[in-house]
Order: sequence, then structure tokens, then C-alpha cells
Amino acid sequence: MTTTIQENGNQLVAFFSGRLDTAAAVQTAEDVKPLLEAANKEIILDCTELEYISSSGLRIFLSIRKEAAAHGSKVIVRNINADIRQVFMMTGFVSLFVIE
Amino acid sequence: MIVAGIALEAISCIMYFTSRVAIRHEAELRAKTELRKAELEIELHTIEMETAAKTLALLVEKHIDCLDSVYAATDLAVRTMRTFTSVAVAYVPDYFPKAGRYFEACSSRITEDSVYTRQIGSAAHDYTEMEWWQNGFVHDSCWWCEPYMDDSGSEAPVVSCSYPVCNAQGEVVAVVCVDMRLDYLQQKLPEYLQVYKNSYFSIRSSKGGDIVRAMDTVPGRKYNIYNEEIDATGWHIEIVIPDDELFKDLNHTGKIVGILMLLGLVLLAMMLIHSSRTNKKLLESTAKNQRMENELYVAGAIQTAMLPKVFPPFQDLRNVNVYGTVKPAKEVGGDLYDFYVRHDKLFFCIGDVSGKGVPASLVMAMTRSLFRSITSHDEDAASVMTKMNKAFVEQNTQNMFLTLFIGILDCQTGKLDYCNAGHNAPVLVESQKSKVEKLNVVPNLPLGVEGEWEFTAQQVQMAYNDLLFLYTDGLTEAERSSHEQFGEERMMKRFTDEGMKGLVDPRKLVEKMQAEVETFVDGAEQSDDLTMMAIRYQLPALIMRNDIQQIPTLAEWVDSLGVPQELNMQINLALEEVVTNVMLYAYPGQNGQVLVESGKWKVESGEKLIFTITDSGIPFDPTQKEEVDTTLSAEERQIGGLGIHLVRQIMDEVKYERTNNQNILTLVKKL
Repeated sequence: MTTTIQENGNQLVAFFSGRLDTAAAVQTAEDVKPLLEAANKEIILDCTELEYISSSGLRIFLSIRKEAAAHGSKVIVRNINADIRQVFMMTGFVSLFVIE
Repeated sequence: MIVAGIALEAISCIMYFTSRVAIRHEAELRAKTELRKAELEIELHTIEMETAAKTLALLVEKHIDCLDSVYAATDLAVRTMRTFTSVAVAYVPDYFPKAGRYFEACSSRITEDSVYTRQIGSAAHDYTEMEWWQNGFVHDSCWWCEPYMDDSGSEAPVVSCSYPVCNAQGEVVAVVCVDMRLDYLQQKLPEYLQVYKNSYFSIRSSKGGDIVRAMDTVPGRKYNIYNEEIDATGWHIEIVIPDDELFKDLNHTGKIVGILMLLGLVLLAMMLIHSSRTNKKLLESTAKNQRMENELYVAGAIQTAMLPKVFPPFQDLRNVNVYGTVKPAKEVGGDLYDFYVRHDKLFFCIGDVSGKGVPASLVMAMTRSLFRSITSHDEDAASVMTKMNKAFVEQNTQNMFLTLFIGILDCQTGKLDYCNAGHNAPVLVESQKSKVEKLNVVPNLPLGVEGEWEFTAQQVQMAYNDLLFLYTDGLTEAERSSHEQFGEERMMKRFTDEGMKGLVDPRKLVEKMQAEVETFVDGAEQSDDLTMMAIRYQLPALIMRNDIQQIPTLAEWVDSLGVPQELNMQINLALEEVVTNVMLYAYPGQNGQVLVESGKWKVESGEKLIFTITDSGIPFDPTQKEEVDTTLSAEERQIGGLGIHLVRQIMDEVKYERTNNQNILTLVKKL
């Protein structure tokens, strides 16, 4: 599991790649810290390479969403696969995020 | 003093000659004991060969026109038996018109692990001219050829055994031939047959050909010769001990005696009287003890070498677990158990040979070899038993019989096909129904009683976590010093006792029963072998430590289960949530384990996948967690609680129970 963050002007793009399971979540939570402090940005969570997510991964997504709202940022989830979309449906995350 | 001297001289002469007699007697006993051990060793191999030849003939008879089966059978025989160099089936000329006049399917060992199988009959290789074929063709028992040097490169002496194959009309249509290397025997036998430093031995075939060549005798030297004939092969084993070798020690002692005589008549007289009393006794008892110990040692070694000893036995097959043990009585008996897995089926047997001692353990060895060779081609319990019985009766010269239970468990479906030949009915512990009862068995007849008996098999469906307990009468007939027996009733009651109830590990169960019997007999000497075996049919399991870093192994495990592709991720997710919970909360500050098991159940409405997650941590019921509200906005949503919510969403049933200090969570997904 790798997380890479790129800054494009007003945009912050996080590229997730691999399986975001409980074991990987510890490191991922560290990796996304810059996103939590970003104010007035557009945060894009790029999931093109993300294969799998469990509740610990969802928690990271939710905390990014909460912090963004508090700092006036906006969060967009991009390119989720069918499996992950199903998880988003089951947890009501589809209505919490803008999904592209 | 002169009178005393003459008397003493006479006494020492008598002493000398009685000692000679005693020494000769001892040498004879020793030679015979060793001969018998050598005979046993040889017979073990010849029985193996004859069994293989007969089994092969049976198989070929069944598939007489199917060349592929014949090739497969010869190939397997060589692969299974390490000492075999080649196995062939040669048909009468023109049997397969399309294959030419001569047809001989032959499998030869090239190296330890590779076997070469092909057709070798041709006008140039006309087996019908060969002795093994001609004799195999006309004899209706195993025919042993003269040993010869193998010309295929190994340069080892080889012996072969032939046996005829008949068609449905009873006409001989082919001959089976099995070749075995003798170099193993040549290396092994000196252990037994080299009885004195300068003695030697020889083995000759029935026609006088040398298998192990003896030294030439020297004219004028006296020799003591002892021999034994091997029934099956007609071989002669001979031990030759030169006289001077035998009495070397005695002559040496004689000189010392002479010197001592000069030193003091009285002292000498006292010594002679003393030694003449004790010497003879000592010689007699040591010879006897040695013989018995040797016999028991050989028999015991054979017995233990044959039983499966590695537990848990199957690394790759996770849904059966087996444990077996034999506690031998002081005198070697003939109990056996055996099991192995082939084609996802568990083949197992347990048996008890009538009688004790070396003959019983030989029969036991033969039974195991028959069980292995017949089940390698036959998966029908009744037919296996019928064939074993037939082969056993043919070879049973000593009127021995044995009780035997055979089972073939399909590890995929849990269906058990079993056949009983007069053995004690096994106990079936049905964990789902909390029921313990004796398996319903048709007794049939013990093996070796009636060669034509058609055995009846029975079937039972085992559910996951059911346990089959098999035993010999050494368990129920274990006696305490008052001659009261452990008995069947007491044994059955033990299964429902606290401590054994709910015990699902085969090893623990057998060990517990062993401990119960030992408590019962309270130190009384065991008179019969005590053999127990337990088989658990279980869900395929995964064991993890409470370390989050182990989570990726769960995904690999789910992949290996072969669940439908579209459900793979969901199942992985639900299990990860549950397992993570256990890892994080069940063992605060401690190391612990979590066990995940899975199974497929057929129900009326279709199939169900079942998973159980078990841990020995603090009581924790995840189903009591409050349901999260997924309709809330991000600001109102709590961070936690998503895991169990996902589990509930994915699975059709989620059930928690706490038993035996364990948390057990059961998840069910309908397919």
C-alpha cells in the first residue's frame, strides 16, 4: 500500500495504490496528515489504483472529510472500483463524498 | 592330596566337557535365534513382493483389456515399493492383435524417484521363452526364480516372483512379474548372521545358486553348521561356526585353570565347585533371555516402524485431523492402525490380530501392506475388505485371523464409506447434535475366516466438527488388579464427562482417554495392546496471532477457499472486520490467537458459507455494539462502529456465543 500526495496549485491530490486493510491503515494515516491541515483547498482522493478498503481505511477517509469541512476545503473521491463502491454504498459514504 | 589331585583332575575334565556341551548348546540357540530373525527379515520382503504380485494380478484381471490401467498399475507398484526394480505384465502371444505378437507392459526404476513405463515385448525379447514366464504361467501360486545379476546397470543381484493373471473364464492370459533388489538384504543380514567374529554364513537358492557365498571349508577343521529354509522362496540360510572359534575362550580358560590348580588345590576345588554350580545356570538363562529379547525387539521395531507417527499429519489438507497411538503390552501384540490421504479422501483402518508375538506382528505388517496396495486402486470399502480377505486367506498358513475396520472419508463432502470385519464399533461424536453413539455396524466376519465372504459396507454423513473414535479391545478390556474391566459403558460415559465433553482435538481426546484408562487400571500390568485413533472432520482453518500485521494472510486464505469471485471481497472484508476486533480488544496487553474456520453447507434452499471466528480472550460480544446511522451527515457521523456494520450488511446471519472460555462468532452467507 502506497500513498503519494501531489500539490497542483489549489489542488491536493492523494494517489492511493494497493490494499488499504487494517495492517496498512497505520502507515496510511501517517501519510495523509498533510491533507488534514490543508485549508481552502480542493482535496482529491484518487482511488484508481486502490484495490480494497476496510473500515480502518474508511475511517481515514471520514477523518479527512471532517477536517476538510472544518478548514473550508472540499473533498472529491475519484475512480473507485466496483468493490469499493459497494462498500461506500453499504456505509452511506456515497452521500458523504463527491464521487467522480 | 594325590587322591584329591586325581579327583580334581577328573572333576576338571568333566567340567571341561560339560562346558563344551553347554557352549555348543548356547551357540546352537544363538544361531537359531539369529536365523529366525534373518528369516523374518527376508520374509517381510518376500511377503511384500508376493502381495504386490497378487494385488497387481487382481487389478490386471479387473482391467484386463485396458492397457492404460495396466501401465498405471505397474508404474504405481514400482513407485510405491522402494526395493522393487521393475514390475511387468506379459500377455500370452497375440492377445492384442493390433499390438503385435508380444505384449509386455513394463515399469522399471531409473533412479530413486523416476520410473520408466513402456511396452518391451518383441520377437527379440520373447518372454515366452523365459523361465519366469513359463513357470508363472503354469503355477497357480507365486513362483520364485533363481536370483540373477541385474544387467540394467545397477549390477545388484535381483530376484523375481511371477504370478498368473486369469480372464473371466479362468484361463491364464498373462503373467505378472515383480523384481526386487537383493543388495539391501545382503547389507542387512550380517547384522543377524555374523554371530561370532570368525563365523560366516551363506544364503543359497533352492537350486544351490549363491545369493551370499560362503567361505570354503578347510579340510581337517571341524565346523558346526546350522541352517534354516525360507518357505516361500525355498532359500537356504546357513551359519557356519568353526569348532576352534567356538571353544577358543574355553581353551584359554582351561590353561588358567591348570595354573590355578598348581597354585592351590583347595582353592581350586572351591572355585570349581562354585563355578560348576553357577556357570551352567548362567549360560542357560542368558541364552533364553537373549533369544526372547531379540525376538521382541525385532517384532516391536517392525511394528512401530509401520505406524504413522507424524501429527498433525496433513499440512495441505486442513479439514481432517487425525491422531493415533498404540500402547504395546509387554509381549508384542498385533494391533495396527493406518491412514493416508489420496485424491482428497482419507483412507484409514484399525485392526487387532489374534494371538501375540512375532507371528501376530507379521500378520499385522502384511495387513497394512495389503491395505495400502489395495486402496491405492480401489475406493470402495466393501470391495477393499473383500479383496483383503481373499488375499489374506490365501496367505494365511497359520490359521490366524484379525478384526479390522476400514473407512474411506470423502474430505469434500464428509461422506464416510466404511466396512467392518468383526471389529469393535467406533464411536461417533456428533458435535452439532451433542450426541455420542456407537456407529451402526454390520459385524460381517473377521478377516482370514472365510475367503469367499462378501463384505457389506455402510455409509454415514459426517458433519463438520464430528469426531470418529476408533479403538481395539485393549481399551474396553483393560483390567485393574481386581480383574474388573474398563468396559464399553465406562468408555461411552467418558465422552460426556466434563473435561472430555466438547474436546474436539483428536490428540487431546485420545490422550484424555488414555489418562482415564490409566487411572482406572491403577498400575495393573497391561495384558493387551491398547490402540486408539480419532478422526475429526473439520472446517478448513486459519490461525493468526493477535498482530494487525497478520491481516494480509487473511486475504490469501480467503482466496484459497474458492468462494464465488463476486463475493470474495465482501467475505474478506467482513472477516477482516471481525478478526481486527479480536486482535485489538480480546487480549489486552497479552499475546493470543484467533482461529478462523470456514465451511460450505448444503441446505434445502441452496448452499451456505459458514465462518466461525474463535478466540480465548476476554468476553466480548461485537453484536451488542450499537448500530451506526449511515444517513447522518459527515459532521454528525462517529468515526467508529463501521466494522460491525459492514459485517451485518454483508452476512446473512451473525451469531455470538461464549463457551469453554472462548468467544465464538459465527457468520453465515447464503449463496
